[in-house]
Amino acid sequence: MATVRIPETPPLTEIFQAEVVKRNLDRVRRGMDVIFDRDPPVVGATAKDVVYSKGTLRLYRYRPVTDEVYRIPVVLVMSLISKPYILDLSPGQSLVEYLLREGFDVFMVDWGVPRPEDSRLTLEYYVLESLPRNVEEVQKVTGEQEVSLLGYCMGGLMALMYSGIFHDAPVANLVCAATPVDFEGMGMFRRWSDRRWFDVDRLVDTLGNVPPDLIFRSFEMLRPAERWAAYARLFDNLWNDLWVKNYRLFNRWVYDQIPFPGEAYRQLMKELMWENKLMKGQLALGGRRVDLAAITCPVLNIMAQHDHIAPFAATQPLTSLLGSEDTEDVILKGGHVSLIAGRNAWFRLWPQLSQWLSVRSV
Amino acid sequence: MPDNDDRPDVGQLWRSWLTDTERQWNAFFNDVMGTDSFGRFLGGYMDIYSTFQRLVAQNMERSLSTLNVPSRSDVLELSERLSSLEERLSSIESSINTLAEAVGHPSRPAAVTQLRPRRTRQPRSQPAGAK
Repeated sequence: MATVRIPETPPLTEIFQAEVVKRNLDRVRRGMDVIFDRDPPVVGATAKDVVYSKGTLRLYRYRPVTDEVYRIPVVLVMSLISKPYILDLSPGQSLVEYLLREGFDVFMVDWGVPRPEDSRLTLEYYVLESLPRNVEEVQKVTGEQEVSLLGYCMGGLMALMYSGIFHDAPVANLVCAATPVDFEGMGMFRRWSDRRWFDVDRLVDTLGNVPPDLIFRSFEMLRPAERWAAYARLFDNLWNDLWVKNYRLFNRWVYDQIPFPGEAYRQLMKELMWENKLMKGQLALGGRRVDLAAITCPVLNIMAQHDHIAPFAATQPLTSLLGSEDTEDVILKGGHVSLIAGRNAWFRLWPQLSQWLSVRSV
Repeated sequence: MPDNDDRPDVGQLWRSWLTDTERQWNAFFNDVMGTDSFGRFLGGYMDIYSTFQRLVAQNMERSLSTLNVPSRSDVLELSERLSSLEERLSSIESSINTLAEAVGHPSRPAAVTQLRPRRTRQPRSQPAGAK
């Protein structure tokens, strides 16, 4: 005779169970934390000292956590577009912290938040004056001649320009992450900033620095539905402490935009976005040509397959432009941010990066 | 939280729907915003935005000047002078540091100078996991 299975607990009564009630109260509490930004997660917490500063620029040295470090220090070159704490997001989720634990001596070039008077700063200032000065300071502090440069996004572009101009630069290794070189592959950005309708001179002459809101909106327009989908996912995952913490960390960075120095923006648009001069080998700063073929040090090019900010088509040609024989392309699934700071990065990229750097840093 | 019984997982269905919908809307908007007409519209918007900003700035400057109140450009001028003072101080400090180091009395913050780990580390065969 068939037996009828009677549920021990009727589904409706489940909602009155203490555990379920507690979980839903937790959801409400976490939701309130997000809405009112209560107890914001700590970012950029790894211990560091300022080694050199000029204007808004700070060169940091992170305190080594091992008695013995690799001979060649690693210098992280940050982008002008965003804040640098994406590489030192949170304890346990920080590339900087990981590299320190792996035994590297880590420095970071943080350009800071441009002031209105910084609208006059050009790419020449960043590449020909400031970056070499930072490298000199690292040499002084460590007593080592060579450095490894690791540039993220536009930081990678500046590290490339520096290495392509100063052929005797003490760059032992170069790592470029999400670094666009072929601006014909910049997709929507290229279309929106087409010279036929985008008057960059008028914008920069009027505003000086490009306001952070304008930059943020242009990023957001690349994936207009993302924000609303993110809210829905947040609601769905409010029970999950770790998920909410990560959401808040990344969200904080995404919304924490900074102005872009006006003159550098004008150059970026005209020389790179319109003329694609880096790719054609015609880019010159202060009368000195950026010759990527003259870069002969080992180069690691890290790219994301679904990067909507620096698309794969724009980042992929990098190694083919270099004169180096020791080059490697790392292609990961994921986007612009998850490439360097997301789950993919923690489990795949960081160990690979450490391995690549370590054998070339002795 | 995922359930362990045989009931259909409505949550999972909803998540898949959300991902698909997000992808579809993004693709739709990208199609619309990737056209020349949208580029032209955006360019026009930026021109209006710049003109508006310039007019507001000019009028504000004029009004503040009439009221004998410092304007944005006055504050910026002051900020530039402060920056130039900062830079001069920093260059003087740097010269003093160089001199002090030359005579054997380094004046850098102790935290930075005392960090002299041995630079002899050798690579391991496998790097540690990130977590």
